[in-house]
Amino acid sequence: MPDRSSSRISSPRRVVVTGMGIACALGIEEAVVWKNLMAGKTGIGHLRAFDTTAYKIRIGAEVPEGLIRGKLKELRRRPIDRALDLAVVVAWDALAQANLITREPPWSEQDVAVLYGTGVGSAQSHFNAFSTFFEKGPRGLRPTTVPRCMYNAISAGVSMQFKLTGSNYVVVSACNSAANAMGTAFRMIRDGYAEKVLCGGSDGFFDPFFFGVWNNIGVLSPIEDPAKACRPFARDRRGTVLGEGAGAIVLETLDGASARGARIRGEILGYGESSDASHITRPSGEGQAKAIRRALDDAGLQPREIALINAHGTATHSNDATESQSVRSALGPAADRIPVMANKSYFGHVLGASGILETITTLLALERGMAPPNLNLENPDPACSLNLIGKEPVTINRGPAMKNSFGFGGANGVLIVGPTI
Amino acid sequence: MSEKSKTESIIRKLREIMETCAMEELDWSKYGPDSTIESLGLDSLTILDLLYDVEQELGVHLEARDIVSIRNMGEMASLLIDKGA
Repeated sequence: MPDRSSSRISSPRRVVVTGMGIACALGIEEAVVWKNLMAGKTGIGHLRAFDTTAYKIRIGAEVPEGLIRGKLKELRRRPIDRALDLAVVVAWDALAQANLITREPPWSEQDVAVLYGTGVGSAQSHFNAFSTFFEKGPRGLRPTTVPRCMYNAISAGVSMQFKLTGSNYVVVSACNSAANAMGTAFRMIRDGYAEKVLCGGSDGFFDPFFFGVWNNIGVLSPIEDPAKACRPFARDRRGTVLGEGAGAIVLETLDGASARGARIRGEILGYGESSDASHITRPSGEGQAKAIRRALDDAGLQPREIALINAHGTATHSNDATESQSVRSALGPAADRIPVMANKSYFGHVLGASGILETITTLLALERGMAPPNLNLENPDPACSLNLIGKEPVTINRGPAMKNSFGFGGANGVLIVGPTI
Repeated sequence: MSEKSKTESIIRKLREIMETCAMEELDWSKYGPDSTIESLGLDSLTILDLLYDVEQELGVHLEARDIVSIRNMGEMASLLIDKGA
């Protein structure tokens, strides 16, 4: 490993979280999301977004109906694209919680960068454009198809809505996207390139085309009962369940946050990333373990100091077995003791946004000293020999937590987050 | 249909179209023949979308230059009627 100290500014800056916004199948308020997690209540259900009669899989984790539309109405915005709409709503909550904006406009310009991860970007706009093209031909395409479909429509829309004049861009690395975005944002602040960054991820893709392609890749659970379909780390797991959602956090320096009296919700302590460079969809334990080791090294921590792991835990056969091996390989005997939670049985696999949703639940767990139960884990897979949380919530030690995110394309990102200071 | 009721019907349709292509929520019931285009907050990009939606919904092809001199919804309705809407 290169000596990072030479590339950093002389005294590394501590990076803290001062605002959080979340939208997922469990709700759009963190208190509601937490309550549902602790109650073991899943947000997975039969899909309502479109008619799924012709599809093999008919379930998903949708944000409860009307919530996003209601928030947009408060913002006097019209729905434009699901991923953008979700991104704007969580940005609003995160910025307001961080006390960077008031709840009500007008808002004036401020130097905050916007980095969002997304797996599939403006899927709804793409679907609408494809449909129009095949129905009406090239001359029938809407003139604003380009700004609607470009991936960075998400970060650009957030930047324009709240007048954030730092950089704005999206990071695309499948299910690792939000982790990449947060890791990059963390480094930007720690290394002195930015003072404040709004970062996270958004994915909204419940349309007939996108859901169709995921139906056919063979990783979705065929179990029809929504409450039982997603079974991370269970011997009888059958695959993942897709979800929509978004999350955003405000990152800034500890000194800056303290100086303005902001409430600190947690800290980003380290980030590690790697590429499997082996197979486009099959994960590699070696690649994942490398990202975990790098994250721990970045945070300057030993495995035994980790108090909680929030796994990628997709509930596919391949992911959960590989992730268990990589965690064990990177952490050694400490893996026997550290409680492991997996949230996708609650709000599905939200692809490019899963990293931020699960980072927020991790921060909520650290704040409360409690971790929610894992659903559908009556029979843990012996191949997944981790200290998996069972059907009851557990108390956790005060300390840092590790959040894994692994994506198709062999993209691995691991964040180490700490409790409030 | 009288000229007046035709204008009103076109304006109703325009309101529906603008509702779908505007970025912001507006109280569209307040917009009538005298409402200026500027008051609708349509930027050049949104106007392109508006022209597209008018063409799709009313079967009338408008160029951006056609609406440069349009000051209000009433004039827009008259132009559309002239073009065969």
